Amino acid sequence: MIHLINVTKKFNRQTVAVNNATIHIEPGEFVSIVGQSGCGKTTIIRLLISEIKPDHGQIIIGGWDITKIKSYQIPLLRRQIGVVFQDFKLLPKKTVFENVAFALQVSGTTRGRINKIVPQVLKIVDLEDKLDRYPQELSGGERQRVAIARALVHRPKVLLADEPTGNLDAINSKEIINLLLKINDFGTTVLLVSHDKSIVNALKKRVITMEDGAIVQDQKIGKYVI
Amino acid sequence: MFLLSLSRSILFAIQSFWRNIWLSLATIFIITLTFISINFLVIISAVSDSAIEAVKEKIDISIYFQQEVNETKVAEIKSHLETLPQIKSITYSSSEDNLANFKTKHQDELLIQEALKELEKNPLGATLIVKAKQLDDYPEILEAIDNPAYSDLIEERSYDDHQVVIDRINAITENVRKGGLIISGLFVIIAALIVFNTVRIAIFTHRHEVGIMKLVGATNWFVRSPFIIENIFSGVIACVLAIGVVYFILSLIQPHLSSYFGGAEFNIIGYFNSNALVIFGSQLIGIIVLNIISSSLAIGKYLRV
Repeated sequence: MIHLINVTKKFNRQTVAVNNATIHIEPGEFVSIVGQSGCGKTTIIRLLISEIKPDHGQIIIGGWDITKIKSYQIPLLRRQIGVVFQDFKLLPKKTVFENVAFALQVSGTTRGRINKIVPQVLKIVDLEDKLDRYPQELSGGERQRVAIARALVHRPKVLLADEPTGNLDAINSKEIINLLLKINDFGTTVLLVSHDKSIVNALKKRVITMEDGAIVQDQKIGKYVI
Repeated sequence: MFLLSLSRSILFAIQSFWRNIWLSLATIFIITLTFISINFLVIISAVSDSAIEAVKEKIDISIYFQQEVNETKVAEIKSHLETLPQIKSITYSSSEDNLANFKTKHQDELLIQEALKELEKNPLGATLIVKAKQLDDYPEILEAIDNPAYSDLIEERSYDDHQVVIDRINAITENVRKGGLIISGLFVIIAALIVFNTVRIAIFTHRHEVGIMKLVGATNWFVRSPFIIENIFSGVIACVLAIGVVYFILSLIQPHLSSYFGGAEFNIIGYFNSNALVIFGSQLIGIIVLNIISSSLAIGKYLRV
């Protein structure tokens, strides 16, 4: 499903964010990428959504080689991948419903279909009674659930979660991880980037460990050991 | 698909307009002020043009004929002058009319009245009042009047008194035109910069939203169009407000204009009414084009996500 082959990404010529990394993720897997701050975890996510392009190597998602993707193709790619960020990235002037609906509106989905799908997805994240709230009226956990609903609304085959619990307390973090596991159970490939030891260790899923931009460990049922 | 996107862009623009109402109002306020300032320039230009026209209108050549020159001869000279392309109008005043006017004008001056009675015959000759189409035409008309065939018939012509005034008006007109052009040019540049920066600031406040929209798969056009449409809304509302304010100001100025023109009629509201399409239409088109350019440029920076 996701293949990074000998990928290298440098910033300012001297800073090597990702160093010759090779990762193969099969469909339906739940993979955690762990490592200290600045080890290149988030750069992997940015490469996968084509926010930046690799200097070397190849990136393939769902059979689509996005290494040299054209700028007009980037919106199409992003509609096929769900992404969740640490800072939620919700539109502050749009309601919960509108935030989720926006992801469908950009792809030209009709109003009737939006009105049908959005409440369904918000029900999955247990926010069906907060459709008209604005992000600032929600707790951190609720905001992240809106972001997950938005990421799911296209029924993506891949969900990328970049430190989704970074701004949340322990209880909300657990809820979000349970939600990601539930989504993974439906067959969606989940790539979780985290530096939270307790969460990663509790998952008992595949763990890829990064250090200074390089992959130093890849375990089928791994632990955060650094 | 295109219509769906367009209708969504319009809907997002309306939503953003209301949900950021203070920012929208600030933008409208600044664009309205810019419009009003530009229209002040139009008012000043219209008033100064009309003032110059009013003065020009008062300039003519009065040809005073000798008393013994008969009406037929004057009519002949009149007909000859009327063949000149530079002539706008020639008004004939007979010696009798001139005497009657003279008497009326000096009716309270006993000495003049008695002197006239002493004279057995009318001492005044006929007069022709000649108006040219352009100020520059007067010298050529004068040349025609100074024809040796007529010089014995003409007692006096008044134009020499106007020569200085005409030269001065020509100089003023030229300066006003040059000055107006420079001021207008500067003003349009300043106004464009103000609007450009206002739109940029409005978009700067939305920069995080632009990034988020891109991350969830919005195309550049889908992100850009609501901002452009919203700024066009602001421009149109500002234009309508400015028209209201300008007409209010015009209604205040109008009564004072007649006294400024020494009783001559100048209808500034009428001037704006008859040129409304050009004055406001060009400003509206200008602001829309400016908004599209500034929105597109300002947002472009944040679209690289």
